[in-house]
Amino acid sequence: MCNFKTYCAARLPRWAVLASSPISLICLGRCDPSALHSNRSRRFFEVPKTVFLLAALLVSATSFAADVKTLLKQADEYRLNLESARVDTEVRVFKGDALDKTRLYTVYIKPERRSLVVFRSPVERGQKMLMLGDDFWLVMPSSARPLRITPMQKLLGDASTGDVATLTWSGDYDGKIVGEEKVGDIVCHKLDIVGQRKGVSYPRIVLYVAKNGSFPVKAELYVASDKLAKMAEFKMGNVDGRKQVTTMILTDHLQKDRRTEVHYLSRSAKTLSDEYYNPAFLVRAEIDN
Amino acid sequence: MGGVLALPAQAENGIDLTYTSRVVGEFHQLRSDSPFAAGLARTGFGRDNGRFEEEVRGKLGPVSLLLTGSHSGQEGQKPKARLVANEVFIDFGSGADRFTVGKKILSGDVGYGFRPIDVVQREARMQLIPKTLEGIPNLMWEHYSGQQAWSLILANPDQNRGADASKDGSLTLRYYNRIGATDLHGVARYSSRYHLETGAAFSSVPESSLEIHGSFLIQQRGERTVPIRLPANANPILLLARSADDPNILVSESLKNPAKALLGATWTTDNGWSVLAETWWDGTAPKPSDWQNLARQTQIRNAMLGMPGIPAEGVSGALALSTRMFQNPSPTRRGNLLRVSWTDPAGSGWSTALDVLQRPQGGGWTATLSAAWVADKLRIEGGYRRYGGTTNSFYRLLPERQVFFAGFSLAF
Repeated sequence: MCNFKTYCAARLPRWAVLASSPISLICLGRCDPSALHSNRSRRFFEVPKTVFLLAALLVSATSFAADVKTLLKQADEYRLNLESARVDTEVRVFKGDALDKTRLYTVYIKPERRSLVVFRSPVERGQKMLMLGDDFWLVMPSSARPLRITPMQKLLGDASTGDVATLTWSGDYDGKIVGEEKVGDIVCHKLDIVGQRKGVSYPRIVLYVAKNGSFPVKAELYVASDKLAKMAEFKMGNVDGRKQVTTMILTDHLQKDRRTEVHYLSRSAKTLSDEYYNPAFLVRAEIDN
Repeated sequence: MGGVLALPAQAENGIDLTYTSRVVGEFHQLRSDSPFAAGLARTGFGRDNGRFEEEVRGKLGPVSLLLTGSHSGQEGQKPKARLVANEVFIDFGSGADRFTVGKKILSGDVGYGFRPIDVVQREARMQLIPKTLEGIPNLMWEHYSGQQAWSLILANPDQNRGADASKDGSLTLRYYNRIGATDLHGVARYSSRYHLETGAAFSSVPESSLEIHGSFLIQQRGERTVPIRLPANANPILLLARSADDPNILVSESLKNPAKALLGATWTTDNGWSVLAETWWDGTAPKPSDWQNLARQTQIRNAMLGMPGIPAEGVSGALALSTRMFQNPSPTRRGNLLRVSWTDPAGSGWSTALDVLQRPQGGGWTATLSAAWVADKLRIEGGYRRYGGTTNSFYRLLPERQVFFAGFSLAF
């Protein structure tokens, strides 16, 4: 499984290797291996230059890290700009060009990574899912006790409820900018980000955010085995005078004729009291209101 | 876009209902060499059956409803029509203290195949396509505090002892606490049938693919249905002949401090596979010697068929009555379940499962292969179950060899 630690171990040491290698230092100075054997005075003048370049590199790396955080926060603003909210979502699953099924969900989001998903479609009526950080519970209509499920089980189902309930990246992911790429006509920053927690739906995401405006454009979603599972496209629209993501289109990487459209029907400020985020509360009817 | 698409019917007049139509059919095959064969015509074993259900679920103002109207039929019998209010209740209250009045489904435990602390609803597990549970009339007070909760449930307040334990009047205290990645459940219930029952359960997710769970219950008193005991020096033929017309050929045996325990784990992969393994102990189930006793008595009854002076009707009646021992909530004390299931992670709606339940100490085994497909409003499911084991094992004594089942439901 690829987690944040192993991901970092694989990628971050590049800086360390680059910085600590004598050959790197020389090359940073004047790209001449013979400098290692040159006299002291020459090295005396080489070192400040090397240090300067190394410092510049570190500053650059630091600013890139900061940029990722900032970009993720800016991208999140287009998905959800409220701390506590009610988001009504319609999921449409297409097989080829034909609409295969429709599902309706209401998601109640609260700070500290708390999400409550109420399943509203007739065929799923009575089901609820609670996400508290890395912990997940499911309630079926035939049961009066919440069932603890694993992050992996959360991914299963028609449209993974993780896709529906997760509306922000900045609190859960970190990583780096790996380049620039054009997606359609939009020039994008390409971000390679990894989950900071074990409960994220996708431990790794390659995210494309518009260079101009920082809105999300596309994402490649990787599962724990680092396999590409889905591609996400974000459609922007004008909602109450604000530019927001109105639809997320998910394409399954293995079954390319399957497409899932997650339509955000409404986002409104709503704060449920803390009892609603107690797993034992899930069986109560107040949630159905 | 938000303005174009409409939300579902969360009607402003307070009526928010969904409807489900369901057709279920079961096709049973008798075991041709069943020792109960002479009495099976008087039982439901081996009879194909079907039901058509119309279900209404939702809210009428503050009242939560689940109503089921059904037409059911069994081979050789007249169809029956029934309307059941599975749930009619009001949840109310605010802040940390909440209340429930009415009839509500109260089942639940951490296990899949066996549920020791499901002491209020006492749901039968491992059914093919189960009927919607019928709720328990109750008054409930729940209190929430941080990640803890407790509830006090007065169930069946108008009853002392009902037809079965779930219909008994009882007072139950339930406790819940979340400690990191672990849920803890506690329960204490008092009823006139079992006196005090106390138990605890846990469910924990130590890593992203793995869930482990366990459950334990101890009862002050337990019950199980077993065959009558024959005195060692009695002539069994005469004794059984006398008992042939006696409905009490099975007796309810009282148990002191029986225990139930379950341990299990679920492993799920990102390509949709899931493996569930559980093992359990039920001290209220019949012992292997009870099944051997039933087998021996059945053998004697079969030997009596055709004997002069012994009415064949009485013997076949006794054979039919003795099959009620199969209605014990747990047929054997030990169980091992392995369930391998797959859900299409791409969201095609397909899922399939193979369940193998083995009952050690000569109980035999049952294997169930099932598949389901869920579309927009439609759900189709079906499968096959087979019973097997050594001679005189529980699943070989069971008068059926296999069952095919299918269900079709449409929600709107």
